[in-house]
Amino acid sequence: MNATTRTGFKARSDAALANPTLKTAIDRTTGTAERKRAAALAGFAEYEAARSRGSAIKDHVIANLDHYLEMFERNATASGAKVHWAATESEACDIVIRLCREAGAKRVTRSKSMLGEEIGLPDALGSAGIERVETDLAEHIIQLAGEHPSHIIWPAMHRTREQVAELFNADHKPPPADDEAASMVQSARHVLRGKFLSADVGISGANFLIADTGATCTVTNEGNAELTTTPPRVHIVTAGIEKLVPSTSHAMALLRLLVRSATGGELTQYTTFHCGPKRPGDADGPEKMHIVLVDNGRSEMIANEFRDMLRCIRCGACMNHCVVYRQIGGHAYGGTYPGPMGAVLTPVLDGLAQSRDLPFACTMNGRCAEVCPVEIPLPTLLRAWRGRSWRAGLEGPRMRAGLAAWAGLARRPGLYRMASGIGVRALRLLGRSGWIGSLPFAGGWTRHRDLPGPTGGTFMERYTARGARRPEDRR
Amino acid sequence: MSARDSILSAIRTGLGGSRNDPAAIAAEAADLLAAPETIRPPLVAATLVDAFCEKSEALGATVDRIGSIDEVPASVGRYLEGQGLSAEIAVESAALFRDLDWGDLRPRLAVAPDAPAAVGLARHGIAESGSLVIHSGKETRILLAFLPLHHIVVLRAASIVSHLEDYAALLVGHETSPRNAVLITGPSGTTDIEGSYVRGAHGPGFVHVILVFDA
Ligand code: SF4
Repeated sequence: MNATTRTGFKARSDAALANPTLKTAIDRTTGTAERKRAAALAGFAEYEAARSRGSAIKDHVIANLDHYLEMFERNATASGAKVHWAATESEACDIVIRLCREAGAKRVTRSKSMLGEEIGLPDALGSAGIERVETDLAEHIIQLAGEHPSHIIWPAMHRTREQVAELFNADHKPPPADDEAASMVQSARHVLRGKFLSADVGISGANFLIADTGATCTVTNEGNAELTTTPPRVHIVTAGIEKLVPSTSHAMALLRLLVRSATGGELTQYTTFHCGPKRPGDADGPEKMHIVLVDNGRSEMIANEFRDMLRCIRCGACMNHCVVYRQIGGHAYGGTYPGPMGAVLTPVLDGLAQSRDLPFACTMNGRCAEVCPVEIPLPTLLRAWRGRSWRAGLEGPRMRAGLAAWAGLARRPGLYRMASGIGVRALRLLGRSGWIGSLPFAGGWTRHRDLPGPTGGTFMERYTARGARRPEDRR
Repeated sequence: MSARDSILSAIRTGLGGSRNDPAAIAAEAADLLAAPETIRPPLVAATLVDAFCEKSEALGATVDRIGSIDEVPASVGRYLEGQGLSAEIAVESAALFRDLDWGDLRPRLAVAPDAPAAVGLARHGIAESGSLVIHSGKETRILLAFLPLHHIVVLRAASIVSHLEDYAALLVGHETSPRNAVLITGPSGTTDIEGSYVRGAHGPGFVHVILVFDA
């Protein structure tokens, strides 16, 4: 659920492409992420084996999801936590708001959770009149800016340092010493410290749910998750049902993949297993722990062509390596999750009619599937959405007519060769300098970049020139 | 139908209706942990201690090696002096620390929200990743590891395990799990502003390990 879905993908991506600072901001972070991931994997010779094992672990869990959910519920309950179930995002928010009210909460701290964004929890807390303090630095930035995350690992990557400084100068008392990243981090540390300690409820997500202990696992580099979940009276976890793993050891196997793929580190600075509320005699910790297990479309994916997507461990590598994401950034996608994985998930969450442009905003270069640490065939899943979109009649008449014309040509090789011959000559004429700066009837292709002009003839001309025989000659 | 029942029944329908035998599921889960050496990096040094130290230092932590627990106060004193910090310091209420002679240092049990430094005890070290493991408990306050700017951690060399799974194997069933088990891997940091790394986000900006070789 995300307010930005309203204006349409094309308008949003046009605006993003026209924004000069956005591309710089995206390149700075994704470029670093790409380099660090490559370096981390270069030092991990066992990666391919670890990757197939990680995928197999997730497949095993999904194939026995009912079993593991019940096992988790049993152990979490035995540890003193209370487990709640929510079929939809609104059910999930209702449960969290009710728990906050029962705790008499005025202020809640929240440690970054994409599931929380997915179910619209920030807005729900706002409407319930509960003060929400985002504690992850990036979430703090976007809370001040009144925005949604534009990346699942770096939610504020669309903002430059100067833009962050502006927000902090307006909000932080005293303001940061200067607009260097270090001073701004210092300032946020200072401002948020008091809020951590005075919150009534702390809300976190979970990277893993451990079936055999009933624990939830969070990973952060900042230390905000523990500061969010330890001082308040109540700790509430919201987590998707696909986050289960059989045991802590299975979580470790996946953590090696998650962290290297996300930030290029080997392990996040803080990897914490939260198992129930404060034990009798414990020096600190919340009196109560609640875990809200959220379905929101996941159980349906088990039986359809999107089942592989349930393996996703939300590392963000697919978007860091996506040529489309790197041009338009996360907000243009309009859903909670951007990039390739978002283009697969948003139609599940928001409906295909709302988001049919997303599966088409893809060059099918396959980079995402190559870098995915749990081998999700993202291009195949995007193609599945394209097929569904076609069958549901969501394509406009121009697209249908165009495809019908192309199909007609493709079935008549002689005609096809003639048409492509004319096409290639026309393009060569347009691109005499080697590049095509503007295309009649297809301005969208060239508005923000040049198209390389064709350097030779058509494919078939060059294929025959190389001495290959035409298929119809091969008898 | 409750949300719980409707979710579980949707899952079962999606899976085709038949339920797997729990023993078979457990056997398959165990198989997925087989041959761990094929899916994890080997240690970077010949001994657990050397591998642990090499990893911690690469992460920006500092390590002091001492021969017995009695030398902890002197080691803490050296660190505080080197960093120009005051002798007033938050110390975990572990029995092990209570009996020590802290000399000129002034140990306090309370840890202030902006404490400059605190001394805590780690249960384990993990050589693979250079991680320190702390468990919440009667003596261990989780906040002691997160509020101070300098986190000084006492770790017995003998309690270092090789890989993440070796530690994970100790957490089976909720009975053996503390409320919080935290793996601390280097000082707190963030890359949230333009992807550039800044040390010391919400947690400690400095981690100093006092490694005790008392066998
Ligand atoms: S789809 Fe794969 S690469 Fe993308 S976030 Fe999920 S796990 Fe990471």
